Amino acid sequence: MGHLSGEHLYEIFARQKREDRLEHIGTISAPNGSLARAYAWQTYDEQKWFEMVVAPREAFEAVNRDESPFTVSPAEAT
Amino acid sequence: MSQKGTAGYRTAVDVPEELHADLASLLLSLADNKRLLGMRYAEWLLGAPTLEAGIACSAMAQDEWGHSRILYAMLKDFGKDPAHLEHEREADEYLNSELLDEPPAEWTGLVALNFLLDAALSVQIESLKDSRFEPLHYKVRKVLEEERFHFEHGRGWLARVAQTDAGRAALEEALEPAWISCLRWFGGGSGLVVRLAEAGIADAGPDELRARWLDRVAPAVAEAGLELAGVTDGSWAVPELDWTGWDPARRRSGEGGLNDETLAAVRGDKNRTMLMD
Repeated sequence: MGHLSGEHLYEIFARQKREDRLEHIGTISAPNGSLARAYAWQTYDEQKWFEMVVAPREAFEAVNRDESPFTVSPAEAT
Repeated sequence: MSQKGTAGYRTAVDVPEELHADLASLLLSLADNKRLLGMRYAEWLLGAPTLEAGIACSAMAQDEWGHSRILYAMLKDFGKDPAHLEHEREADEYLNSELLDEPPAEWTGLVALNFLLDAALSVQIESLKDSRFEPLHYKVRKVLEEERFHFEHGRGWLARVAQTDAGRAALEEALEPAWISCLRWFGGGSGLVVRLAEAGIADAGPDELRARWLDRVAPAVAEAGLELAGVTDGSWAVPELDWTGWDPARRRSGEGGLNDETLAAVRGDKNRTMLMD
């Protein structure tokens, strides 16, 4: 995963029904948005989704923690 | 809802006699191309540049086979035997694009099939979404929903490979024959696509379909900095096409056909003993 140069991590959010909230369902490595959308849809295909969206991990800004979003530092993990 | 405010055809029986052969030929062409394209996707399950691309090829192969199965089944109503169509034809009876005659040697060749040929098939299928032949309506919508992600996959790989000079050169080499082949695939000034458009089975003839296809694929080609016929300095137009050797009935170059390995695989020759009943 991510072994090719120029890859980025994309966070995937989805909901099954219109009234559901978007939930974070996973992360995918892709070189651009087109491939992130294709991979997300084709990888997380066990459910019939009402909506799926992806965003590059870099787009997320930490609010309360110093660590990068979606990561857990060794100190926090214990 | 049908085009031109005219009555729709609810079954194959309602389709006028003079349109039968053309409509059956269009469905068979789409079925054959999708069956073979699915095979080409499947061949990259284990050799794709990334794990994710292999998974995507698996998903796209399943989609294409699903689409071809639906189309072969529809041909039953046109007096064709789906089992014969799927397992008993010779190479010259397949209505496939010459791009599928043999497997692409490189990943860029698969990208060419994914981005250009798969899009050409989708443009043709989209022209049937409000067809007078009503059995197509629901099936076309389902196919196009899945094809959306095939297009994203092709476009994404085009952009990815085009990031380097070497990648762009490899892409141009792979895309050039596919580019001309896809432009020709929609057909010339006469032929079944013209007749089906005039009859309201499809909503456009060859020239309009070519323009739609170009508008779909050319922006990414231009953005990637690739030089292909008709694409210059960020704008595009259908280039002059050479129709030498064109076979309007098979919608392909008249010469050649599926190679032996492809024919054996697509017919399921190794499983013939299980097809006896």
